[in-house]
Parts: sequence; structure tokens; C-alpha cells
Amino acid sequence: MMDAAQNLLGPLWPVVWTMVKIVAIVLPLMGAVAYLTLAERKVIGFMQVRLGPNRVGYGGLLQPVADGLKLLMKEIIIPTAANRTLFLLGPVLAIAPAFAAWAVVPFDLTLVLADIDAGLLYILAMTSVGVYGVIIAGWASNSKYAFLGSLRSAAQIVSYEIAMGFALVGVLMSANSLNLGKIVLAQSGGFWQWYWLPLFPLFIVYFISAVAETNRAPFDVAEGESEIVAGFHVEYSGMAFAVFFLAEYANMILVAMLAALMFLGGWLSPVPFLPDSILWLLFKVAALLFFFLWFRATFPRYRYDQIMRLGWKVFIPVTLVWILFVGGMMQTRWAYLFH
Amino acid sequence: MLENYFPILLFIIVGLAVGVAPIVLGKLVSPNRPDGEKNSPYECGFEAFEDARMKFDVRYYLVAILFILFDLEIAFLFPWAVVLQEIGLFGFLAMLVFLGILVVGFVYEWMKGALEWE
Amino acid sequence: MIFQDYVFYALAAILLFAGLRVITARNPVHAALFLVLAFFTAAGIWLLLEAEFLAIALVLVYVGAVMVLFLFVVMMLDINLDKLREGFWNALPIALPIGLLMAAEMVMILGSKHFSPDMMSTPTPRPAGYSNTAELGRQLYTDYLLPFELASVVLLVAIVAAIALTLRERKDSKFIDPAEQVKVKRADRIRIVSMPSEKEIIPVTAEAVEEKKK
Repeated sequence: MMDAAQNLLGPLWPVVWTMVKIVAIVLPLMGAVAYLTLAERKVIGFMQVRLGPNRVGYGGLLQPVADGLKLLMKEIIIPTAANRTLFLLGPVLAIAPAFAAWAVVPFDLTLVLADIDAGLLYILAMTSVGVYGVIIAGWASNSKYAFLGSLRSAAQIVSYEIAMGFALVGVLMSANSLNLGKIVLAQSGGFWQWYWLPLFPLFIVYFISAVAETNRAPFDVAEGESEIVAGFHVEYSGMAFAVFFLAEYANMILVAMLAALMFLGGWLSPVPFLPDSILWLLFKVAALLFFFLWFRATFPRYRYDQIMRLGWKVFIPVTLVWILFVGGMMQTRWAYLFH
Repeated sequence: MLENYFPILLFIIVGLAVGVAPIVLGKLVSPNRPDGEKNSPYECGFEAFEDARMKFDVRYYLVAILFILFDLEIAFLFPWAVVLQEIGLFGFLAMLVFLGILVVGFVYEWMKGALEWE
Repeated sequence: MIFQDYVFYALAAILLFAGLRVITARNPVHAALFLVLAFFTAAGIWLLLEAEFLAIALVLVYVGAVMVLFLFVVMMLDINLDKLREGFWNALPIALPIGLLMAAEMVMILGSKHFSPDMMSTPTPRPAGYSNTAELGRQLYTDYLLPFELASVVLLVAIVAAIALTLRERKDSKFIDPAEQVKVKRADRIRIVSMPSEKEIIPVTAEAVEEKKK
């Protein structure tokens, strides 16, 4: 059947086939995002001895669909003081990198859309572009809350990006490659070979930075509903708001996926007697995402000066020291411990 | 090598479409009833009393500048980390000098209180 | 290979358009965003030259960091546009010849036989496993060690300069150092004074208060 399609489409075939593969990534991702919102409400509900949403569908299972439809029917308000074009550009610029970064994520040994050599660098570049959505939204809204929220958020995101970048350098040193698939393969050999162990401080720094990068609680001062209402997206409504919402959750899944790939062995099985499988990867991502929700239910919001102090004065020195330590150890006969 | 980047080009376009499509759809489906009060900037019920785009603390600029410098440092660290095994001790010492000089800057920054957020 | 040419021309067209808009856009924020677009498409063109690391580093450093600072500056400083435009016609008699001269120089250099396309051999396309980043790393930290170390000195100067230019003590700061709070001793806060106990209680009446005021 595929040959027939190939003949029919001729030179367009690679385009169509790639599009099919992209859709095969994007659609499950959208579904995951939708159900992550439900999972968040359910998990936090149970942690607070509530039931969470349970009316729409069996046990609330159709809640995300209902939410989506509701947002679709809501008016997209564009404030008169706002800059129209940029106001609508903001959410697009927030979500495009959050999705585009998935192009290089390997799901399995062979299951990867774009197997480029500089995969990790590409993802880092894409996530650094994501900050534009926040800045533009805050400025274009021409509202004080939005402006303050976007300023805070931008400064926070860039601060934690440094710590994140340093943490990634440690992984590169161990794996000797920027290709995510090769990074996973370098960890083969079971649970104790994964990089969370030799790079433990970097793993912790990476994960906390990931929470801060995605503006999630307890680092959600950019939204800070009790002080600046909703931060940079206070003026957004309807689908324009929904796009921001999607971007935040897509980013969460992305950073959890990266953590699973770089520190927890990706699709590799923790024990030798079970086969490697994509299910392991999905399980690891789900477990990491659970932590995101758990953090939100547990920790009170950080103060802004505390956030900046943690990023600059704790994480950067810790990662620098650990990078040099690992680099130094690699020159000794204990180098095998860090590969 | 380039053929591997073709899906990325497509994916970036799809990513933009994922952002544009819901907004266009929402614009088409949802009602549009503009109203002077509704479309005014939100300010907890007050009339907005000045332009929202104000001058702000110079500290944010400082963070942005320092971020650029550290980002460059990371850009230098990436190729180094990939080939560390090949260039061995020599490469490690080269980076040690590089980072040592920058740590001087970091310590200066710290001591000056540029990382203090008050 | 024809497809790559299409991509190149599309990117080049976007790049030229974005570059033009950077200098013609009325709103400085729009201009800055067009500059972002210009960097992005330039990265695409570098990628076509198979400079993988540099292309993505361009996005990472220029789009992800430098332009964020630019946007901060143009968004948040109230730039008076009309004032900036005032000098346009006065400066034109000088600016125009200089601009033309520079353009002519560039044409002369790039058009000369040293830079013509025939001078460059067509690079051979790299195999899929080729790592541009690793190649760069092998060169940078061995053959080009001195420039690399000098780069750190440049960055150090930049750090010091940034702090010298922007760091100000704020007078209205209400910041409290938690360490100071913890270190507080009982003696810093309260003082016990021995006083004789009160003998007589004077009833406070409205008249007494009035009298006191007088």
C-alpha cells in the first residue's frame, strides 16, 4: 500500500510521509496535554481529600473535552489599548517552540523523526525561544499586571536556563554526544548505569530548573494569582488563553521527557530480564510529571528574591563544581564511573 | 545531513499552525461583542490611570546581560563536553583556565551584590 | 538538490524582507522582532551550509539571549519616536554618501575575483553521522586555544562592565536580610527598666482631656 502511495505522490511523497509522522507525534501529544490537565486536577483533588472533576463523562474523563469546547465558544477579547498583531502573535510564539522541540525526541531506538546530531542543542535553542511568547504577550496587552508578570517570568526563565544549560553539559561529558538517542544508548546496562547516579546533583538541578522554566508552582510568580492576578496572560480569553495553557503543559511534558531521556535511561529497562520498550519511557515521563503535580499541591510559592537567589547563587555554583569534578575524574582511572 | 533537518523545518511550520489554528477557529466560532468597558485593560475594576509600559528596575537589564554572558559560556562548553574524551587532560586544563577566568567574574558579581535581589 | 535551492531563496527573501523592516518599521518593538526573524532565517541559511553547531548556536545565543535584552530595552524604555526622527533630514546629506560608499566598498570586495563563486569549491555533502559540533570542539580547544582563552577575558570584561554600568544601590529598598533577622538578640529589641509602681490612678474624663489640650 505504501508503495502505491509513493508512486502516486511522486516527489511529494517525502513531504506527505513526514507530515504523517509529525501528526503521529502531535496528536498524541495534544491528547497527553489535555489529560495532563485532568490528571492535575484529579491528583491535587485527591491530595486535598477532594474528588476533583467527576461530572462530565465517567469519573470526569470527558472534562478536558468540555473545557476545550467551552474555551472555543468564548469570545477572544482584544483590549483596545493592546497592540493587536503582537497580542495575537504572543500565544503562537509560546506554543510553536514547545511543539517544534519534539522533532528530535527519540521514543525508541528507531522511533525518531529527525535524528540530527545536535539534537540536545536544538532543544535548548527551542526552549530559549519560548520566552518570546511571554514577553510579547505581556507587552502587547498594555496592562500593568501582564507587564509585571512577563518581566518577572522572563527574568526567571533566563536565569534558570543557565543552570539548565550547565546541567546538560554534564550529560554531554558523560555521553560524548549531543544526539539524544546516543545519550540514551550510552546509559545502557540497567538502573545503576543511568546518569541520575553519577550526575545526581545535575539531575536535581535540572529537574528543579525545569519546574522553574515552565513557570510551575512553586515558581509560578509569573502568574501569582493572588498578587498579579494571572500575570502575562491576564488579558487573554477563549482560545488565545487556551493556546498559552497548551504551551505550558506541552513544555512540562517536554522537560519531563528530556529528564527521562538524559538521566533515567529513556526507553531502557531498569532490569536485565525485562525488554527495553517505549512503555518504560512513557512510565518514566508520567512519574516525573506526577512530581510536577505533587510539587504544586505541596509547596507554597517562592518569593521572587528567593527564586533568583536559588537560580544564581545555588544552582550555578553547584553545577559548575560538579562539571569540573566530573571533568577532573574523567582524567583519572575512575573515569568509567562517569560514562 | 541536511535531509535530517527537513522534518524539523516542517515541524516548526506545524508548530506555528498549532498556535494559529485554535485562535482562528476561536475567532470564527466564538461571539464578538466588543464593549468599551470590557475591552479596557484589567485593573481590578479601576480605570487604568496611566500607561502600563513604565520604566522598571535596572536590575532586570543586569540579569539579561549576565544571562547573555553565561549563555555564551554554555555555547563554549557544549563542543568541549562532546569531545572531552578525545582531547583529554589538555582539553580539561584549557577549560579549567577558561572557567577560572569567568569564575573571577562570577565571584566579583557575587561580592558586588549584583545577584542580590532586594 | 533543487529543493535546497528553493529553501535557500525562500529564506534569503525572508531575511532581506526582515532586514528591511528592521530599519523601516515605525514601532521599535516591531523592528526588534523583525531582527529576531532575521536571525532565525540567517540560522536557516547557515544550516544549509552544514554549519550545524553555529546555526543552532546563533538561535540559542542571538535569538534566545541577545534579542531578549534588546526587547527588554526597546519595550521598557520610553523611546520618543518623533524625537528620534527629527534629525533624519539633517543627517541625510552626510549619511547618504557614507552609506553609498560602504555599499560600494562591499560590492568591490565581494565582487572581486577573490570572492567569486568560482573561487570556492563546492563543499561535499557530509554523511548523516558527521558531527559538526565534535569537529569544532577538536579544533577550538587545541589549535585555537589562545583565542578561546582570550574569549573568556572578553567575557570577564563584559561582566565587570555590565555591573559597573547598571548596579545601583536603591534607597527605597525595603529588603531585609534574613540572616540579620535571625542574629537578633533579645537585648537588641527590648530593654527592661525598673520603675516604681504606680501609686494613684487618675480617672480620665472628657474635661481632663480638654484641659490637657489647652
